[in-house]
Amino acid sequence: MPVEPLPAAAGLGGSVQVRHVDAGSCNGCEIELGQAFSPVYDAERHGVRLVASPRHADVLTVTGPVTVNMAGPLRKTYEAMPEPRLVVAVGDCARDCGMFAGGYGVHGPVATVVPVDLQVPGCPPEPAAIVSALRRLSGR
Amino acid sequence: MNRVAVALCAALALAGLGASAGLVLPARWRSAAVGAATVAAGVAGAVAGAAAVSGTGWQVRVAGLLPLAGVTLAVDALAGWFLLLVGGVAAVVGVYTVGYTGRTGRGPAARGALALLPLFVAAMLLVPVAGSVSTFLLAWELMAVTSLLLVLSEHRHSPAVRTAGLWYAAMTQAGFVVILLGLAWLAAAVGGESFAAVRAGAAELSPLVSSGVFLLCMAGFASKAGAVPLHPWLPRAHAEAPSHVSALMSAAMVKLGVYGIVRVAFDLLGGGPRWWWLLLGAVGAVSALYGILQAAVATDLKRLLAFSTSENIGLILLGLAAAGLLAAAGQLAGAGAALAAAFLHTANHAGFKALLFCGAGSVLHATGTRDLDQLGGLSRRMPVTTGLVTVGALGAAALPPGNGFVSEWLLLQALLHQVPAGGTVLTIAAPVAVAVVALTAGVGVATFVKALGTGFLARPRSAAAAAAIESPPTMLAGMGLAAAVCTGLAVVPTVAAPALDRIATGLRVESAPLHGSGIDLRLAGIASSISPLWIAVGVVGIAVGFAAVARAAGRPRRRARAWDCGDGPLTARMEYTATSFAEPLQRVFEDVLAPEQDVDVTHSAESAYLVRAVEYRRRLPDRVESRLYRPVIVAADAVGRAACRLATGSVHRYLAYMLTALVAVLVAGVLR
Repeated sequence: MPVEPLPAAAGLGGSVQVRHVDAGSCNGCEIELGQAFSPVYDAERHGVRLVASPRHADVLTVTGPVTVNMAGPLRKTYEAMPEPRLVVAVGDCARDCGMFAGGYGVHGPVATVVPVDLQVPGCPPEPAAIVSALRRLSGR
Repeated sequence: MNRVAVALCAALALAGLGASAGLVLPARWRSAAVGAATVAAGVAGAVAGAAAVSGTGWQVRVAGLLPLAGVTLAVDALAGWFLLLVGGVAAVVGVYTVGYTGRTGRGPAARGALALLPLFVAAMLLVPVAGSVSTFLLAWELMAVTSLLLVLSEHRHSPAVRTAGLWYAAMTQAGFVVILLGLAWLAAAVGGESFAAVRAGAAELSPLVSSGVFLLCMAGFASKAGAVPLHPWLPRAHAEAPSHVSALMSAAMVKLGVYGIVRVAFDLLGGGPRWWWLLLGAVGAVSALYGILQAAVATDLKRLLAFSTSENIGLILLGLAAAGLLAAAGQLAGAGAALAAAFLHTANHAGFKALLFCGAGSVLHATGTRDLDQLGGLSRRMPVTTGLVTVGALGAAALPPGNGFVSEWLLLQALLHQVPAGGTVLTIAAPVAVAVVALTAGVGVATFVKALGTGFLARPRSAAAAAAIESPPTMLAGMGLAAAVCTGLAVVPTVAAPALDRIATGLRVESAPLHGSGIDLRLAGIASSISPLWIAVGVVGIAVGFAAVARAAGRPRRRARAWDCGDGPLTARMEYTATSFAEPLQRVFEDVLAPEQDVDVTHSAESAYLVRAVEYRRRLPDRVESRLYRPVIVAADAVGRAACRLATGSVHRYLAYMLTALVAVLVAGVLR
């Protein structure tokens, strides 16, 4: 099934290195993200890899409402990435804080901390939705 | 009048002038005057040396100056080389001294300590030009005493200085005694005490005498040179002496131990049997390996440099041993090459070690500590010092384009290209020596990466290091001069070729061991050449080229902070310390170094499962010292205590002793 490539990701040339940050998630999105890279959905065949350091990453995936304690580390992670860099907000919490909106420990949605290029809705989003979002970055 | 004579007399006169200036001038002017006099004496000494290595000889005998024997001075190319070396080091260190001692008038800037400095230089200049046994011994003792007093300059500062002084005094005097015995035996056996007479009579000596003289002199000179196992004074005295004195001692004085070995074994005795050189080579190999291993695990910057001195002396002795062994086997070309390597290394080591000890002094001056674990971050606070120390460290690590590289390359070439015709001993000894040099060079790189990396780079580990200030201009100028000499030796070592030619001819091995067409360096009889200049140009060119290409063609540069996993700022506690950097090496060589570790766990009073504190201590004692010297010291101490019982303070007992002694003498007289 062809996807519509994201123009901002054209510079990545079909190879996308992903660093993931859990900014306060309930871990539901993490389970689905794990599934996206499992043999069943296998995001790696589309040129998407998870890496262990923001220094190696092109793309940052962020889950959860950004908590007060994670706002700083998230910003630092983004600043540590080489350019060009893109951010994918995964899940409803990352988009608008979901059911945690207004909580005493919540700082705000991901877009209030770092610029977001792509959003994946769902609580949690299905692995297929995550894979198709990542495919828009790799273009394949 | 002879150029050598004029320059040498000028050097001695200037040193005397400097000493008097140090005694009479007020504290404000003292350092500057003594420094200037030391520089002038050093330059004059170097001029005399330069004239001597370019072929001007000089001999004089002043009958009335010393009772019985008179003073004999004789300058040849060999003496000239060491005059040049001592003079050069003194000139560089003299400049540094002005800033280092300052105007405080205390410690190393006190009246006596400053006045002794030019005298020490004068004594060192006298040692290589001494032309008779008695003159040599006088100069040697003068050098030992002045250096001992200089080591003690800061004795009020810490008890460690006094311990160091005691060790140095005991070992240097023991060394003097064996040299005295050896040279007196030699003079008595040939029936003349001038070196010319000894040289002429050496051929008729019995093997017992010449070997005995060789062993005695080698022991004495090797202890002055800091060769293992006669080294324990060296890490103490070099570490505790004021840094300009350490620089003079390490760069110049220990080389005179090498001079003594060359003078006695090669020149006066005219070479010897194979086992002499195998013994010398074994001492050299052990010194090189043990020295660099101790340096690799040392955390005190000056102790590290002191052990590195032992290592470099070991390499020089290895070169001398190879030269002697090859000469004994009749391979004069190889002998010349090994000798050239050893001599070139004396100059190279003098250059980079003077620079590094001055650098250590600047660090001490700026931070008050020599502990590498407490330093760090100096490159921002002291950029010039760091740059200059880098030049020295590059030389000490024997990496191109540093100056140590050239001489170690020559030494390896001389050892590698041994013809199998040299016999079984040579066929076995040469590869072993090559392995020793290679291992030493490898550990040497780790040592100096540690010294520079943990001492000067990264972040400061203590408030003192964070508050460091750049040294005054005179100190920087002294170090800059040393760095310039190092660079010169690294890039155009061929300037030393004519001098080495004359020395080799004087020592009756192959003449012109080293020849070069200005930039190429070739060894006689060995089919390999090297061009240090092109290597330096290549290395610098590649580095500059890469930087230029990266800047021109790369993406725009962005400054980003070091990645700290999103957590708080990186602190100095996260850095490699000197101890942790050396830990893998210490683990590999655990059998040799035998580190002592204590872990004390304090438990909480309520429960043995709760730990309140963990204390970890690690010590790396000098094993040679604890196994070899400690028992001797304990035994001597016991004898001393036992002797105390003889002298109880009772007058009656003393009278009884006297009566017994008188009776014994009378009885002995009657019986005879």
